[in-house]
Amino acid sequence: MLTLENLSKHFGGVRAVDDVSLTISEGEIFGLIGPNGSGKSTIINLITGLYVPTAGKVTLDGWDLTAMAQHERTSVGVARTFQNIRLFGNLSVAQNLWVAQNGHEQRRAHFLSRWFKAGGEHAPDVEELLRFSQLHSKRDVQASALSFGEMRRLEMARALASNPRVLLLDEPAAGASLEDGQLLAERIRAVRDRGVTVLLIEHMMELVMGITDRIAVLNFGRKIAEGSPTEVQANEDVRAAYLGSSHKKEKLIHA
Amino acid sequence: MADASGANEATAKMDYFFIIDFVQSLVDGLLFGTTYALIGIGFTLIFGVMRKLNLAYGAAALAGTYIGLAAFLAFDAPPPVVFLASALGSGLIGLVVYYCCFRFTPTSYPMASLLASVGMLLFIDEVVIHLSHGMPFPYPSVFSDATLELGDIWIRGDLLFVFGMCVVAMAVLFWLLYRTPLGLATRAVSQQPRAAQLCGIDSTRVNALTFVIAGILGGVAGAMTAAAVGVLSPIIAMGLTVKGLIVVVIGGLGSIPGAIIGGLLVGAAENVFLLLRGVTERDIYVMLLLFLFLTLRPGGLFGSTAGRD
Repeated sequence: MLTLENLSKHFGGVRAVDDVSLTISEGEIFGLIGPNGSGKSTIINLITGLYVPTAGKVTLDGWDLTAMAQHERTSVGVARTFQNIRLFGNLSVAQNLWVAQNGHEQRRAHFLSRWFKAGGEHAPDVEELLRFSQLHSKRDVQASALSFGEMRRLEMARALASNPRVLLLDEPAAGASLEDGQLLAERIRAVRDRGVTVLLIEHMMELVMGITDRIAVLNFGRKIAEGSPTEVQANEDVRAAYLGSSHKKEKLIHA
Repeated sequence: MADASGANEATAKMDYFFIIDFVQSLVDGLLFGTTYALIGIGFTLIFGVMRKLNLAYGAAALAGTYIGLAAFLAFDAPPPVVFLASALGSGLIGLVVYYCCFRFTPTSYPMASLLASVGMLLFIDEVVIHLSHGMPFPYPSVFSDATLELGDIWIRGDLLFVFGMCVVAMAVLFWLLYRTPLGLATRAVSQQPRAAQLCGIDSTRVNALTFVIAGILGGVAGAMTAAAVGVLSPIIAMGLTVKGLIVVVIGGLGSIPGAIIGGLLVGAAENVFLLLRGVTERDIYVMLLLFLFLTLRPGGLFGSTAGRD
């Protein structure tokens, strides 16, 4: 469904992403891991259109995303969250969802109703997302006044408000405890159960290994392994990338 | 004895008249200051969504006001139509300015659009001077004969009308910004432009509509400035531009409440200095006020641009 074909992005002489090909199937939770600076975030930025690829392309069900403007990619079904949260801080929780929902839903609506029709923060879809993300009691609170965990939930809900087919999660567990991570895992599964395919970029290995169907591992911009969590954990290259060459004592296998 | 008490009485009367004059100036200044507030809001709105200054804004407002004047001269249109034509004309010119100076200039070079807008300022100014032969024209005003008397304070009817129109324009703006999808999209783009695009918001369209809305506000301000004096002259382009910039520096660039407070403050200060120091020194003191803000509080009263990329 979401396909990366020989995707490359070079910044000067640095090959941030180097000839990566991936195919993510419908209904999957797909993990993308790798040491810091291995090109994970660059790939998300290539998919969402912040960067223009040096070579290769990204397609979603045959639609060439790389040929589209950023806001158009939303309308074919790509949404994302950010590693450093980017909510509309001066808008209320419900308005954050309304903005995102409006950007999508009313794309073909009449000019006047698209831009001037008030009251969308009470639309059924917005209410449903407020309940889904357990933010119903905070609906009129300014987004900047939420707790960190609530902000993360709101950001995911806002991404879902555009009714995406693929949701890109950029380190959703950053700054979260292990227990938070388990709640997050449940929420990511719930997102998948809504019919949304998930591409998860994450450092918390317990989370990635626990919920993903398949994983791809990047190192220095290249894909070095792909497969089920067990296959990837057994892969020698992966162990070398995490434990050997980078000298980081990150626990890849939580056993 | 009798002489001394008479002198005292005279001094007391002088003091009383001075206070009345002072309050009168202050009230007039505050009422007229709403036009400055509107211009400040226009600068701030555009800066909010694009993080760019549009220096052609005051000139565009003036040109829009001339469109209203053209309707007045050509069709003898009634004042409400003239005001409406001024506002809409200015909105249209705002859109032209967006497409000429901002839409296609590279976003990573702030100087490009800034200088393009300076060029546009000069161009619009020249066109207006050429078409009007540099001569002031009478501009319709309403309620200029009426006054509202509150004791010894007289409030001019036309000034009260100017104030009312500007307040209505601000109220409509607030409704737009806080209640409609367009307003939410505008605020979303100004807070997190990247995230807004990824929520499916077409920032080009939001930018264009922001220029139109800011232009309409400028047109209202231009029309009301002209209505308050009953004359429209090309020289007010510089006045609108400079006053607008002073207002946003004092209020804090990017803050609408700041622009409102800044506008009222500049309007009031201007009139009070006019009373105390006369017309030749008035602007010196307004500039001094600007200098104080730039050195002591450069971010302005409500300035904050944190948390955006």
